[in-house]
Amino acid sequence: MRRVLAVAGMLALTVAAAACGGTPAKVGSGSATHGKMVRGGTVTVAEPSGASPNDIFPLEPATNSNGYNTNLTMGEWPFLVYVGYGSKSVVNPQESLYSSLTWSHNDSVITIVLKPWKWSDGAPVTSRDFTFVYNLLKANYNDWLGYNPGLFPEDVTKVATPNAHTVVITLNRSYNPAFYTDDELAFVPLLPQHAWDRTSLTGKVGNYDETTAGAKAVWNFLQKQGSDMATFDTSPLWKVVDGPWKLASFQSDGYYVWVPNKNYSGPDKPVLSKVIFTPFTTDAAEMDTLRSGTSLSVAGLPLNDVGQIGELESEGYAVASVPTPGVAEIVPNLWNPVNGPLLRQLYIRQVLEYLINRKQIVTQAFHGYADPGNGPVPVTYGQQWASPLEKAGGPYPYSPSKAAALLRAHGWKVVPNGTDTCLRPGTAAADCGAGITAGEKLQFQLLYASGSSYFDQMNAAIQTSEAQDGVKIVLKAEPFNTLVATTGTCNAQSHPKSTCNWQLQQFGYVPYSLDPSGAGIFNTDAINNYGGYSEPKMDQLINATEYGSSPSAFYAYEDYAAQQLPWLWLPNQDSVVVYRKNLAGVVPASPFDFTLNPEVWYYTSSAK
Amino acid sequence: MTAYLLRRGGQSVVVIIGVMILTFILLHMEPGSVARSVLGLKATPARVAIFDKDYGLNKPLYQQFILYVKQLFQGNFGISYQLQQPVASLIAQRLPRDAILLGLSTLLALVIGVPTGIYQALRHNLLADDLLAGTWFTLYSAPDFMEALLLIALLCVQFHILPPAFPGGVTSVAGLFENWPALILPVAVLSINSVAGFSQYARSTALQTLAEDYIRVARAKGLPERLVVTRHVLRNSLLPVITILGLSLPDIVAGAVIAEAVFNFPGMGLLFWQSALAHDYPVMLGGTLIIGVATVIGNLAADVAYSVLDPRIRYGST
Amino acid sequence: MAAPETVPEPAGQAAGPGVPGGAPVPEAGQVTATSGGTQLTFRAFASSKRAMSGAAIIVAMGLFCYVGPLLYRTNQVAVNLGIANNPPGPGHPLGTDQYGIDILGRLMTGGQSSLELGFAVGIASTLVGMLYGAVSGMAGGVIDAFLMRIVDTLLAVPTFILLIIVASMFSLSLQVIILILTVLSWPYTARLIRGQALALRPREFVQASRGMGATGRRILFRHMVPNTLGVSVVTATFAVADSVYALSALSFLGIGPPPPFTDWGTMLTNGVNNLFNGYWWQVYPPLIVLVLVIVAFRQIGDALNDVVSGTRTDVARRRRRFSLLPLSTRPDLGAD
Repeated sequence: MRRVLAVAGMLALTVAAAACGGTPAKVGSGSATHGKMVRGGTVTVAEPSGASPNDIFPLEPATNSNGYNTNLTMGEWPFLVYVGYGSKSVVNPQESLYSSLTWSHNDSVITIVLKPWKWSDGAPVTSRDFTFVYNLLKANYNDWLGYNPGLFPEDVTKVATPNAHTVVITLNRSYNPAFYTDDELAFVPLLPQHAWDRTSLTGKVGNYDETTAGAKAVWNFLQKQGSDMATFDTSPLWKVVDGPWKLASFQSDGYYVWVPNKNYSGPDKPVLSKVIFTPFTTDAAEMDTLRSGTSLSVAGLPLNDVGQIGELESEGYAVASVPTPGVAEIVPNLWNPVNGPLLRQLYIRQVLEYLINRKQIVTQAFHGYADPGNGPVPVTYGQQWASPLEKAGGPYPYSPSKAAALLRAHGWKVVPNGTDTCLRPGTAAADCGAGITAGEKLQFQLLYASGSSYFDQMNAAIQTSEAQDGVKIVLKAEPFNTLVATTGTCNAQSHPKSTCNWQLQQFGYVPYSLDPSGAGIFNTDAINNYGGYSEPKMDQLINATEYGSSPSAFYAYEDYAAQQLPWLWLPNQDSVVVYRKNLAGVVPASPFDFTLNPEVWYYTSSAK
Repeated sequence: MTAYLLRRGGQSVVVIIGVMILTFILLHMEPGSVARSVLGLKATPARVAIFDKDYGLNKPLYQQFILYVKQLFQGNFGISYQLQQPVASLIAQRLPRDAILLGLSTLLALVIGVPTGIYQALRHNLLADDLLAGTWFTLYSAPDFMEALLLIALLCVQFHILPPAFPGGVTSVAGLFENWPALILPVAVLSINSVAGFSQYARSTALQTLAEDYIRVARAKGLPERLVVTRHVLRNSLLPVITILGLSLPDIVAGAVIAEAVFNFPGMGLLFWQSALAHDYPVMLGGTLIIGVATVIGNLAADVAYSVLDPRIRYGST
Repeated sequence: MAAPETVPEPAGQAAGPGVPGGAPVPEAGQVTATSGGTQLTFRAFASSKRAMSGAAIIVAMGLFCYVGPLLYRTNQVAVNLGIANNPPGPGHPLGTDQYGIDILGRLMTGGQSSLELGFAVGIASTLVGMLYGAVSGMAGGVIDAFLMRIVDTLLAVPTFILLIIVASMFSLSLQVIILILTVLSWPYTARLIRGQALALRPREFVQASRGMGATGRRILFRHMVPNTLGVSVVTATFAVADSVYALSALSFLGIGPPPPFTDWGTMLTNGVNNLFNGYWWQVYPPLIVLVLVIVAFRQIGDALNDVVSGTRTDVARRRRRFSLLPLSTRPDLGAD
């Protein structure tokens, strides 16, 4: 039939597209590019979809949760403590702003000696700049995105500046120095008091920050300026930087250009003459641009497209993957009205975890690019924190037989591919447990964020693998914002029906700072403790990691958490990045500054 | 005619108010808290309360609506919760680009579709008719993004003829035209859908017209085929086409989500979609207002065009 | 020109050729049909090759989708990541998708959803829109204005919000989607039909009918509906395609029904994401069946239009079995 001709034409087009494929072996963290350094050059970096910055003031307000603002600000106003040294997940002494940082008085006093750096307008970076930041935060920390309750600056009792380059911070108690340095000071930048301590653009600079009212006024002024996208590249405020880069131009769609700060005092002075960040509306648009071999020098690669690594390599790109710092999870709501009592039983959570085939999810859904999810701490980077238990696979490797045995031992009737029911209600050791009625079904609704094919695959696979032992999982996908809008934190004291109806939720991962502490996540009433897990022993172990520096304390917390399953552990995907073969310095990189450090990138004159 | 236009103007205002009220109610029916959606996972109840107070979200619905209308009259469309920018400037940035993209594609579809449709009618049930119909329907049935991806695969990746996406950082209309090679594919893909519609509707009406006795008589009288087509058939076939054009005006301001997503074109469609997900009420309301205005204007223009095309259609004074 | 009036409503029956089941009632000067209305349409329809080929395809698809799973059993629910994205091979003639589910089986179950969706939404929204538009265009004046303003309002309300709300409040099932898509589609049809009806209203045959005392209902069903059938049929065909596409767009945007639900559009969406990975077996099959069905619908609709409006050209162009235009009234020839 004639209309078949038209169809045939369409198929011909499809052939052209489908003529590639195959899944190559997983790429590692890349090998360094060698060759003679070429000075100058322009690098174009693709911004991930939806990742445009919209705030340039380095202390972001609590109302702006756009994480990409930090990408913009940390190249211009680096943090006091810079994380990521080559491929190692440690503090970088060269790019950090201090030359020495010592703890004393039983780990409650920090003495910081700042490097003799200069701001881009020639003024020196001094301890006054630190007190400026501290004063601003002290008066406004409730409005600061980086605030963690009980921590900086709330726990600071005194800040002294014996001279222009020394800061002495007195805290209200002893802390684990590694924890505090890695997780708190690593988010404190230095800001130019001599240029920003004012309440209007034309007003004079003064010491307004030294009074609470003044600090609030300066904060409000800077926040207002910081969100005015039209003036990011023209305002005199933002031209005063102490980092390697400054902003040459900024467009409202997220396109911006960095040029080197000629007065950067640090050792890693930029070699490139320009870095362009260009936005993309979706991954598809970015991939198409990559594959058309045009202007992109550095771009993220969606895991779905790892089959095209061969093509990309033949077009002059190299590919590297780096773990993502964080933990991916399914959060059980221990206080939901329907089956909260079920989830409060440790053995039920163990059954759920035993029935997740994480290894298969890593190979099939993430094509090998993921942390195996053996416990709360990633094992693919930062080997100093992964305990032997986690490295060995964690306490709950995939085992349907163990899950079934556990269920039977607690009085459940196991119906493979059906729904299990409770035969022995009660609170004895061999019974189902408190609050569980006779005949109660082992059924849960898994609410997850839609829009990611990996999540779709992973959760569909989980639904099937749980069904083997009669654990019925009902899937419901919602856009991420809807999920966040309709669910809230639930715990023993407060679980209102309107926001605590959810049973299991999965929305991605919770990012970790350098020190993957459980503080703020698994302790009672912590800000990220969405499911209401509460156990005195966990609190005690977390406190030990936060306040004491015993080396075994961290492993003790980690193993306990891995075993306790406050959350169900899931594989967490890596970041895969594509970059021009002749662009050196992109790798080796640590998970913390991967693609965030163009000051160490340079073109080479011969590609290897 | 002026009386009619005035009457329609009045009715349009009523319609727009109705649309705004309806949208307002629908928006607030979206489950979940706006504050939590915007503030993210770390939103504490304290911050949520501050957010609600700042944006008046804890007031009763009718008060919020009145407040919004008051602001509108002052020219203030509000500030996007999520993007922290004035809604008016967001729309002003994106609307012209969408208007150009969709305007061009509609024009292209019109220019290709109507003549093809009439041609099909003239060759009714012959090979040409079937072939063209088959082509249009195949192209219509295949999803936008698939056609887009296929074209990109062929023209951009395989043979580097055209750029596959719009370059970032181009925010002005002039810039749009400077980068015209990047416009070719999106316009082509968008017009594919409309061509099928224009051509098939034109064809069906042309068929009907051609079956009329007066056409037979005109031909018998010796009127050249060309004149038969242009003087009679074309005019009648334009009726449904005009309707569709009028109905397409709201689409021009609503943007095309798929094309924007695939071709890296931050436009109204994506803005709307992301705002809908993020419970970004000011943007949704502002966008709805614009679309509402475009809808009534589009339909009004279509109605006026009918009476121009066909003098027997009059709207009288009843 | 006289201002159009609303049509008076004396009692009467709508009947005549073109209206299924009605016996022919001759009007003055009309060429009478030689047989009953339904038989006439069906026979004419049956002898049209195009219509039959279209119908054959639809029937074949129906069998494939509903009877097929009884003969070719696959597990459409259990996810098996171990065999995900496998090319065609033993046990899976069309390969597997990203969940490890057999694609041939998926085509069958997905087809059930697509066919039901397409039929239901296509027919329902066209019927509602056709009636609404015809009544509005025919009535004219205030009624027309009021009805069209309602249509304007519905057209202007952003559909996204509605979809997201419904998706968050209820789990979207096929029935809910059919309902929503119908509600969202009929205003478009209504406007199109009303435009046609407006053009028909001042035509002499309508005036003549009124002059002879025809009721509004009679004019509606006897003249308006058949004469707007062309546009209606085209609309219905597009509505079928649109509804399938709308569902796939819902899935693309992340608010479609959760697995294990599937339909051809969704299969296509998922397959297209893997286009560059070379998984052609996830793209071709749904595309081919989808296009075939839509083109088949179009053939049927086209043939239906031919039969009802007497524009059959594969049966001698000049011979018509019945006419809708009374011979005694003709527009002024050559005047426009």
